[in-house]
Amino acid sequence: MPERRPTILCVDDESNPLVLRKLVLEKAGYEVITARSGQEALEILASRVVDLVLSDHLMPGMSGAELAQQIKSQRPKLPVVLISGVNEMPAGASVADAFVSKVEGPDVLRNRIAAVLHGRGNASPTTS
Amino acid sequence: MSTPMPVNILMVDDQPGKLLSYEAILGPLGENLLKANSGREALEYLLKTDIAVVLMDVSMPDIDGFQLADMIREHPRFQKTAIIFISAVHLTDVDRIKGYERGAVDYISVPVIPELLRAKVTVFAELYRKTQQLEKLNRELEQRVAERTEELRESESQFRSLANCIPQLAWMANPDGSVFWYNQRWYDYTGATSEAVNGWEWKELIHPDHVEQVVAGIERAWSTGEPWEDTFAIRGKDGSYRWYLSRAVPIRDVNGKIVRWFGTNTDITDRKLAEEALVKSERFAAMGRLAGIIAHEINNPLEAISNAFYLLRDHPSLDEEARYYSKLAEEELARVAHITKQTLSFYRESQQVVAVSLAEVLENVIELQARRLQMNGITIERRIETTGKVQGYPVELKQVFLNLIGNAIQAMPSGGRLRVRLSKSKDRRTGRSGVRASICDTGTGICPEHAKKIFEPFFSTKDAKGTGLGLWISKGIVQKYEGTIRFRSIYNAQGSATCFSVFIPTLSTSETPEIAAALVA
Repeated sequence: MPERRPTILCVDDESNPLVLRKLVLEKAGYEVITARSGQEALEILASRVVDLVLSDHLMPGMSGAELAQQIKSQRPKLPVVLISGVNEMPAGASVADAFVSKVEGPDVLRNRIAAVLHGRGNASPTTS
Repeated sequence: MSTPMPVNILMVDDQPGKLLSYEAILGPLGENLLKANSGREALEYLLKTDIAVVLMDVSMPDIDGFQLADMIREHPRFQKTAIIFISAVHLTDVDRIKGYERGAVDYISVPVIPELLRAKVTVFAELYRKTQQLEKLNRELEQRVAERTEELRESESQFRSLANCIPQLAWMANPDGSVFWYNQRWYDYTGATSEAVNGWEWKELIHPDHVEQVVAGIERAWSTGEPWEDTFAIRGKDGSYRWYLSRAVPIRDVNGKIVRWFGTNTDITDRKLAEEALVKSERFAAMGRLAGIIAHEINNPLEAISNAFYLLRDHPSLDEEARYYSKLAEEELARVAHITKQTLSFYRESQQVVAVSLAEVLENVIELQARRLQMNGITIERRIETTGKVQGYPVELKQVFLNLIGNAIQAMPSGGRLRVRLSKSKDRRTGRSGVRASICDTGTGICPEHAKKIFEPFFSTKDAKGTGLGLWISKGIVQKYEGTIRFRSIYNAQGSATCFSVFIPTLSTSETPEIAAALVA
């Protein structure tokens, strides 16, 4: 029986970065759904199951850190990874499971996501 | 008018009857009348009491009146005592002149006319009284002068103490501007001698760039009488210059005329240096913040582009040529990412500081570079004498040493020795205690022309690989900790070597880097 591919909810307010990130993750073997804001992400989470949330931090309205806090308060076991243009984990974001800097590149992003999912005991994605 | 003090009149005559008659004549004057029968008695009286007038018979049996007068005049005390000679014998002018020569002041001939005697005695009694008063006044005056002189000396001594213990240099000048006095600090600072700087010679001690401006300003003050203020550098006895804020005010007499100028010079070198350092560090911090914000903004599209190239990797529709272009572009993009990552170290988000062990950081970095060290054939020498705990942000501290050790490795492409040392230390200039790390390589050294610029941004001695930002950023990070970073290249018989030394002060528990950062940011 083929393993279910893990589903990642990818959140970013900017269109191109969001699309490209989704494509990279799909190439890595994940199923990806997207949201353009923290609010939209919460709505999606209310109606379906995902295995990991990958969110941009600096967004208008709800920040990635705030989204992480909200998710964790409702679903503490759902892994949340934050991605941002700075070098280190922003303040108030320690509730997230991992942090990836945008300068680190797509390979590091893949590895970090895999590590978080693996640590959670989820099935590892099939590689492309 | 008050009754005058009675003075002593001494009457000398061998005949008591005559004495009585004189007494009767002079009684109404109200003075003290003393009678002496002989020259000897007269002298006794003179020695015991203050006699105003001596009335004496010229011819007496035991002693000649003139001889007595001589004896009286021998005593310095009695040289001015009035003597009236009463003479029965008719005296010639010659005799009288002899008498006057003896300092005798008058003659009365027998028979004595009472009014005449009274008149003459009165004159000399008054003279004596006036002289006494004058002498008394004189003494009082001298007393007051002595007191004033003492007060003045006291006041001068206080002034001198004040003038010599204030931290400023102080001086006084005549109305024409020639300086006639400096306080001790002036001499101590300039090492000048008093002969060398009086008048206008102080100009020699002013920095050549400032002399013209200072002299113009001060001459304007001398002529207008307006208080003077200027800031310029004065040479100390060690030959170095320090900055002084100088002021002078005119001192005027009761008529408003300037009698002298009083001036001070206050050392503001430290303040000036601190101001310059603050301006520089504020500018630096502002630049850094700006750079960080820009880098942060760039990272968004950067990530998107990197992702796009990632997707192009091994894309089936690309032929070999297109794949090659894509690969090159991806590599260049990685460089851009590297630059923004380094620049972002200025964009420090507010986080909590932690205790960072510099020993651990150094070990960590050495470990990370282990392969490169091996590949270049570089031996490592460690001397870690302390854990080197500082309060700070681990990532940026690691970045500093990654940069320094990375540079050291690159300086030794065909092998050499890397020496890493960590010890407790004190900053030579400020006396603050802290931790000193030094990274030494045995590479070709940094030549003096490059040495001036290596902390500048975009300056690199490496080929295309270097961003030219590493040392600039490292210095910026170290300065945020109020530390210092220095280097030295030495060339000797054994070869060449370069050592970078980083000093980070260890803060007391009351201070935190937030405060330091707030000062910088």
